[in-house]
This record gives sequence, C-alpha cells and structure tokens, in this order.
Amino acid sequence: MPGPADPQDPRGDSGGPGEIAIEARSLHKRYGAVHALRGIDLVVRRGEMFALLGPNGAGKTTLFSILATLLRPSEGEARVLGHDTVRERARVRERIGIVFQEPALEGKLSVRDNLYLMGLFYRLSSRAAKARSEELLHTLGLEEVAEREAQKLSGGQKRRVELARALVASPDLLFLDEATLGLDVDARRQFWGEARRYSQRGGTVFLTTHYMDEAEPADRIALIDHGRILALDTPQALKNRIGGGVLLLATADDARAAAWLHERGFEPEVGARGVLLVVPEPAAVLPEVLAQLPVRTHRAEIHEPSLEDVFLKLTGRALEDGQAAPRVRGASGPGAAQ
Amino acid sequence: MRGLIAVILLDLKRLWVDRVRLATSLIQPLLYLFVLGSGLGASSVMGGRGYLHYIFPGVLGLSLLFSSVFAAMLIVFDRQIGFLKAVLVAPVPRVSIALGKVLSGALQALVPATVLLLLVPVLGLGLSPLRFVELIASMWLAALTFSALGVATAARFRSTTVFPIIGNAVLLPLFFLSGALYPLDRAPPWLRALAHADPVAYAVDLMRGAVIGRYAYPPVLSICVLTAFVVVLTWLATRVFAAGDNL
Repeated sequence: MPGPADPQDPRGDSGGPGEIAIEARSLHKRYGAVHALRGIDLVVRRGEMFALLGPNGAGKTTLFSILATLLRPSEGEARVLGHDTVRERARVRERIGIVFQEPALEGKLSVRDNLYLMGLFYRLSSRAAKARSEELLHTLGLEEVAEREAQKLSGGQKRRVELARALVASPDLLFLDEATLGLDVDARRQFWGEARRYSQRGGTVFLTTHYMDEAEPADRIALIDHGRILALDTPQALKNRIGGGVLLLATADDARAAAWLHERGFEPEVGARGVLLVVPEPAAVLPEVLAQLPVRTHRAEIHEPSLEDVFLKLTGRALEDGQAAPRVRGASGPGAAQ
Repeated sequence: MRGLIAVILLDLKRLWVDRVRLATSLIQPLLYLFVLGSGLGASSVMGGRGYLHYIFPGVLGLSLLFSSVFAAMLIVFDRQIGFLKAVLVAPVPRVSIALGKVLSGALQALVPATVLLLLVPVLGLGLSPLRFVELIASMWLAALTFSALGVATAARFRSTTVFPIIGNAVLLPLFFLSGALYPLDRAPPWLRALAHADPVAYAVDLMRGAVIGRYAYPPVLSICVLTAFVVVLTWLATRVFAAGDNL
C-alpha cells in the first residue's frame, strides 16, 4: 500500500496497522438495564504486555470477552490483529489463544490428549498436533503429568495445562482472564513466569486481574471501574500521576480522622487499610498530623505510591475489597513508624 | 474437515475412557429387551415370540433414542463446566461443530444398538443378508435423526438440571407415539395423526419393515422425512453455535 495517508486505515496513529494488536473504539455493552461498558477506547501494540486492572464487577470480563470474540458489543467496534471481532471473528480466532477464568479442559482425558485434540481443533495435522503437544509439555514442565487425567492435577498444574492449551496453535496474541484466580503464591509466580516468557519472545499479552501485583509487570495498565477506563499508562507513570508520597494512617476511627484531615485542607481517602493521604512530602507532615490527630493512631506508614493507592485515589474505593491477595512480591519498601 | 474429525474424535475418546458409561451402554439394551419383551410378551395377545419380533425394532429405537439424547446432554454439561467455550472459540466452522456433534452422538448411540443385533439369530428373526443391511442402514438414519434432535435441543440449554427434565417430557411421548411397543392401528385417529409428526415413528417403522417385511409408511417417505429432520435440526444447531453472544 503506497502513500502515507491510507484512506482505508483511519487509525494510522501509532505506526501503521501492523503495529497494533488490539484497538477498541467507543465500546458499549448493555445487559438489559445494566450498562456494563460505557465507552471503552484503547490501543494495545504488538508485543506489549497489557493489563486490565479493576475490582470485581468493573467490566473487565465483559471487555475481555468482546475483544476475545466471545461477546458482541452493543455499540462500537473492536479490531484484533487487524480483524473486526464480530464480522471477522473466525480470522481473529485463528490467531489468538485464550485462558478463561473457568477451567476449560476435559477432565477425564489425559493432559497429552487434551493438548493433541486442541491442536486438531486449530487445524494442525495429526502429526503437527502431536509434535506441538510434546513441545509444550516440555517447555511448560508438564512431561511428568502428561499421561495423568486433567481432573487429577493440582490447581497450578491445571492452569499451566490451560496455558499450554491456549498456546497450542502458536497464537500471536494471548488473552488471560483472571488466569490465576485461587492459586497459591508459587503457582501464580510460575504461571506468570511462563506468560512473561511468551511475551519476551514477541507475543502480545492481554490480561485481566484484580490483583495489582499481577498487573505490575505489564508494560501498560488500564485501570477500569464501572465500565470506564479511568487511567491508562505505564505502571510508573500511573504512580507518578499521584504526585507525591503516600501517608497511610490506621486509626481507632478512620472516618473521624478523615473528617479532621479534610478540615485541615487534606484530601484523605478511606480504604481497607486505613486513611490514605497523598502529599508531596509525607515525612514533613507526619509529625504534625500524629501530634494533633484527635483519634488514636495505631500505625502510620509512608511509602511510594502503589497501584492500589492510584486506584483508591481515582475512585475512592479499594481495589481488592479488603480481601488480601496472596502477594507474589512484598509491598514496595514500606517505611513504617509507630 | 479437520474440525469435524476433531469433534468426533474428542467425543469417541471420551466415551472410550469413560468405562462406566461404555459398560452401561452395552448392558442397558439387553435389559430392555428381556425385561420388557418377556414381561409384555407374556401378557400379550400376539404371543411371546411374535411380540418379541414386533418390539425388537422398537427396542432398537428406544436404545438409539435415549443413548443419542444422553450423548447430546454432554454438550450441556460441557457448556456448564466451560469446556464447550474452548471448543467454540476454536476456528472450526460452526457447521462442522454441529455436524460433528450429530455424527458423534449417532456413533455413540449405535454402540449399544449394535450389541442388540447379536440377538438377531437368538430371536430367530431369520434375516436375509439384504434385509440385515437394510436394518443397519435404517439404524444409522434413525441414530442420526435422534442425535440431531438431541444436539439441536441441547445446544440451547445451559443447565444440566433443566435439560433432562425437558428431555424426558419430550422423549417419552415421542417414544410412546411411535408405535415402538404396540401397533397404533387401533389407536384413536387423533393419536395416529400426531404420530405422523413423530420422527421416531418413521424411524421405528423403517427398522421394523426391515425385520418383519411390513411397513406402515412407504419406506421412501420415511427416508425423506428422516433426512429432512436431520438436515433441518443440524442447521438449527449450527445457528445456535454460530450465535455470538452464546459462549
């Protein structure tokens, strides 16, 4: 196609259609009276690891399902690897792999048979499907359980088989929907290690999660809530956006503490862990606040902003709804004071 | 084509590893024939052996009908556990999925029905090779029809508790209307009229014709009706699998 301005390609923003893996434009989804997506625009570039982070019910799975061709949008359109997700569904499906939230293995068949049959579903020849299954069993460390019934595997092993299943047709794009829900720390680390390896080999990854530490290694993160994208940037830029450091106070009465801070000109947010205060220099205000706060302070903490803080600041709500996620890594260096 | 083979291969592998289901499907038809045949035959005006010959195709029909609908129920089960998603999201033409499910359901139903054929010499049916081939061909057509009926229905269901209820509510009338267990000659006209709309009636009649040499419907008519059922129901199932919001 000659010419810099191709009229067939109105999206030519970030360097031609070949560079774009996913593009969504003003996506809406309604389920009866429920407006699950309220105008989503986003672009994911080839080779990027992109995380969609938000609390349960934010619209993550709905957006995921539309992009992965499982659901039709009520309005707007999405293109994945250059193809429309509704009209050219089959073309998209040939080139993506999906790990669903729910298990999608045949429990009574062996791991090997599961992978082999999925290879056939993706139009590999019998010989190619066998070879590809063996290759995946090897690279994902599943050789020892290859002959075991899928239903008899541990949670972490099952998820790795799901990943292998999604990779059977060597997709250009991997969709992961809350892929490590319910797994322990080790299994989660192992799973994300494999996903990153795929990404490092040039594959594009689109993942949803409500654990901030799972979104952290992504190249870019979209924070989503109530069907809207609140912010979309690199993890560092999102944290910089908060403009300062975070002062966290766990008090005997967080609501009262927040009210008092508000009177003093601060903008406090009450989260599951206490009262959150974003200030340019937390260490400078801490002594005064501790001395004058009319409620008893159990704990005060200063740290660099986390994605959790960004989310809380943007929405006034906690990301993980009080329920602590099994952390893969420790929180980034909390400087605690009593 | 590869997709079609994959769908069938998947189902047959699953039947093979599920030894309980395989064994049940082998034992069940024998129970049908001996319990039903001996019980009903003893009290029938048609006499023991004659009645056994009469209901043999009916029992074939019963076995084919219930096995193929049971096979179709696995689609609902797959949907409920999420496995169907993985299949539906593969780049396989929807018609291959529907047709593959119809064919695999028919094959699964033909396993027990074929076991029943061992009874042909035992019952002294004395079939000529030509009639035997005719019976086998009729069984295939019957199996495809019942399987298509099951797949077209099951494709729409999401709950494994509702589908069997609906299934039984529909299956039993279809079966009783079919003349599988008793002739409908002396049935009231409205009942016979209803039977004209029952695919099971045509399928059983076709098989019975092959066994006893007398047909209630012209065989060509039965073949056309059953083929039409298979085509229309497979098309309906294809449409359900093709619906975008259905995964």
